Amino acid sequence: MRLPWRRRESDFSAEVDAHIAHETDRLIADGMTPADAHAAARKAFGNVAAANERFYEANRWLWLDQFVGDLRYGARTLGQRPAFLATTVLTLAVALSLVTVAFTIFNAYVLRPFAVQDPGSLYRIGWRAPDSGGQEFRWRDFEDVRDQQSGVFSAVIGEHMRLVSSGGQSLSVAFVSDNYFPALAPRLLAGRGLGPMDANARAAVLSHQAWSRMFAADPSALGREIELDGRRFTVVGILAPQFTGLDEYPREVWVPYSAYAEIRPTAAGSEPPRDVEIVVRLRDGIPQPRAEGTLRPWAARMADLTKAPADLRAILLPNATANAVSMELLAVLSPVFAAFVLVLATACANVSNVMLARAVARHREIAVRLSLGATRARVVRQLLTEGLLIAVLAGAVGLAFAAWLLRAGVVALFSTLPPSLAALIRVVPLSFDYRVFLFALAVAAATTLVFALVPALQASRQRLTDALHGQRSGTRGAARLRSALVVAQVAVSLVLVVTALTLARNFTWLGALDLGYQTAGVHSINVRGEQTELVGRLTDVLAADSRIAEIAVTGGNPMFIRRRNVAVRAGSDRGQTGVKPGSNQGQAPPAVPARYTFVSPAYFSILRIPLIDGRLFTSDEARSAAPVAVVSEATARAFWPGGNAVGQTIAIERPDGRQQVDELPGYGDVTVVGVAADVASGFIVDGKDPNHIYLPVHARHPQASALLIRPRAASELRGGALQEIFRRTGLDPETFEAVPLDEMRQTQVYPLRAAAWIGGLLGAIALVLSISGLYGVLSYTLSQRTREIGIRMALGATTGAVVSLVMRQSVRLAGFGAVVGVTITFAALKFLSSLVRLKEVSLLNVAPFAAALVLVLGATALAAFHPARRATRVDPAETLRAEA
Amino acid sequence: MSTRDNRDRLVLMQGTLDVLILRTLIFGPQHGQGIARAIQQTSDDELLVDHGALYPALQRLEVQGWISAKWGTSANNRKARFYTVTKAGRAQLAKQSNRWRRLVAAMSRVLGPEPEQG
Repeated sequence: MRLPWRRRESDFSAEVDAHIAHETDRLIADGMTPADAHAAARKAFGNVAAANERFYEANRWLWLDQFVGDLRYGARTLGQRPAFLATTVLTLAVALSLVTVAFTIFNAYVLRPFAVQDPGSLYRIGWRAPDSGGQEFRWRDFEDVRDQQSGVFSAVIGEHMRLVSSGGQSLSVAFVSDNYFPALAPRLLAGRGLGPMDANARAAVLSHQAWSRMFAADPSALGREIELDGRRFTVVGILAPQFTGLDEYPREVWVPYSAYAEIRPTAAGSEPPRDVEIVVRLRDGIPQPRAEGTLRPWAARMADLTKAPADLRAILLPNATANAVSMELLAVLSPVFAAFVLVLATACANVSNVMLARAVARHREIAVRLSLGATRARVVRQLLTEGLLIAVLAGAVGLAFAAWLLRAGVVALFSTLPPSLAALIRVVPLSFDYRVFLFALAVAAATTLVFALVPALQASRQRLTDALHGQRSGTRGAARLRSALVVAQVAVSLVLVVTALTLARNFTWLGALDLGYQTAGVHSINVRGEQTELVGRLTDVLAADSRIAEIAVTGGNPMFIRRRNVAVRAGSDRGQTGVKPGSNQGQAPPAVPARYTFVSPAYFSILRIPLIDGRLFTSDEARSAAPVAVVSEATARAFWPGGNAVGQTIAIERPDGRQQVDELPGYGDVTVVGVAADVASGFIVDGKDPNHIYLPVHARHPQASALLIRPRAASELRGGALQEIFRRTGLDPETFEAVPLDEMRQTQVYPLRAAAWIGGLLGAIALVLSISGLYGVLSYTLSQRTREIGIRMALGATTGAVVSLVMRQSVRLAGFGAVVGVTITFAALKFLSSLVRLKEVSLLNVAPFAAALVLVLGATALAAFHPARRATRVDPAETLRAEA
Repeated sequence: MSTRDNRDRLVLMQGTLDVLILRTLIFGPQHGQGIARAIQQTSDDELLVDHGALYPALQRLEVQGWISAKWGTSANNRKARFYTVTKAGRAQLAKQSNRWRRLVAAMSRVLGPEPEQG
């Protein structure tokens, strides 16, 4: 290895020669004969070779020289054993690719800053009130900030994102303020960004993905037109693939905000909706709290207006990445990462195991190196270099695997998601950047230390005299280490398999759970962007369509999670039935938190929720939003145990005890008219609602925000039938979001399903790795004990006895690993179940533990089968001859 | 060779060679052999410079940045590698000389006056 700035050895030699020449000259001048002078000069200098050697070792690049030598040597050694190389590289590559995939996703959603100019100074404005919060404002609020806060913000960007139909497909469209592109300066592949000159123009910028999909990445797309809700927009720019918008939901098309006025489905005269997101760029040197302080008067102005909570304040949220890194996020993700790292650890253990076995085979070589004067550190370094070579190769292969896995994963995600949701989901580009490469390199280097260090230390610790005589001393420690590795592997795979089975069990349990209502055939329809005034318009259109059998209007459909809890108190004015036994007479009974839903009378029939007692709402009550309620069975039981709930009154309060709810004026005293069966209307994992009260509503009521429909036959709404009905409202069909309730149910348990699959995959890989590890250890000990077995057989040991010899070892290792694994899993799940209290999820269940134990122990028995059979084939005569 | 036998001369103590080289180079650029000869001469032939040890020492000083080297032609018209002391080298020399002087003074005090020779 030669570096340009490094002095060459030949230069040093030339200098030494020059020295001897000068010295000879001097000695001749002193009166010596030339021959004597030269000899004397040589003698005075001493050993030239030694000087050269010292020069070499004084060189500060010595380690690099040695490293290159080690690399060359390592590559040669590994090249001679392609099977060893392939096994170790592939084993590590599989595990590294899994970890890389996890990191790439984490990077894309959390670490990678948006590909815009100075993303670190971007903040998103949010609002908080005591029991609510959000990040949406009215356009007017945006203009207010933009015009008055230029002192603290160098740019204020407004954006409204919505899905817009385009030729039967839906596109995510960003309606942006004119400074969006100038302020962010995202990289464009072609054309230009939008600017002030595009106000009122029908100009559009396409994302790279949309361009690839809609125009097959044809450069001539520039200047062509795309259709958005029947209007034509000219493509003026195409973005580079890195930029997809300022949050984790990728936009496909950007158009000027002025175009929103054309598409916006709001009825004239109604209050403009809160649907604009505001992103600001903080000026240099202005601290975040100060900027938040300057927003206070602005927040107060907003609070004065209708529909905004009274004690509203503005906050700034960092917006450099799609999700900010926080302790909470890391806490949630750490078990996921732990599972991936466990698989990596199992793979390392496997490679370590193979290397330990190989170190035994290389015993002699290492002994020779040590006796030729290599220090132990030098031998360890050499072995570590070989490890690093394997790890770096594995890292490279792992990256390729990871790229494939990510593509396959996205395809799998879209094909397993319920279809109506798959249509809504957009995934940010999961590309590798320098962070991913650095991560892969760092992990590969770290794994080298994990899998190669111990074998290297083990191999270099030997007594030379024994080693050179062909005796293998010190292998007992290595054997113990290898057994320990197998025990650890079995334990890890058990942890993963139990976890996967527990997830799978909960998934099937939730899938079969009785929700108390029928989801089959019912479609939920929500209005996007909180424009609930459109519910009435849609209801009229639906009612006129003969294909729709039943329609119900609600204040929120079941399984669509909304925050809608109130405190409910049994009315105390109607005699003793309102007072719970044991409580003091005259004192108001305690308020109980309850879910509430506004529903039209058809709600109960469309979902087939049985009426237990009393009656349902009349259409008059619905029309007048009368203060009457249907309560759930559980609520009736809790408030009036054993008594008759019908005819009683309840009072609705804010959860903090204040009378009445702002959104529920006039519901201070509500008469119970009926009792309905219990349902699970929120998260399925929470089980049936502990309390639920229903209040009557009609389609034009401000509380009516969603619909449920049931077609006459399921086939009636196939294809784009529903879209076509939506179009009859005169609005963009993408204003409404239709999801079959069945699919909503699948969506709710989808995370569990995905986790079960991923856990299963990880568990399976860990299991395969630990089985091959066990197999390796058993085969190795068997090869060490062939002689012993031969003698045993010669002395009359039966086949059974020999098999049990091998099996005993296998059972000892697997059994110990199983005990450790079960203990760890039990403790971890016990801890987890104390944190996560979900009614319908049980983490500690015997069945997954039992199944996992059977699976893991069965697999280890399988691993022992082949070595055991080989042991029985040992020929006593052969071994005895070898002995003699 | 000079009249004195090598056995009579003082073998350099560890660490002294560096400072002697720097000191010698103060008078101007010199090549390795010249440095060795100069040290021997200025010490009145008391000090013996091991020629084999001289070059690794020069290399070390060069790596430290205290001297710089350049190939040139010597007085008797031979190619030689000439060394020059750098600014950092001068500072180092000042520091080291001071240390050595203190060490020598301290040593003398402890050893006391030279004993009378009987």
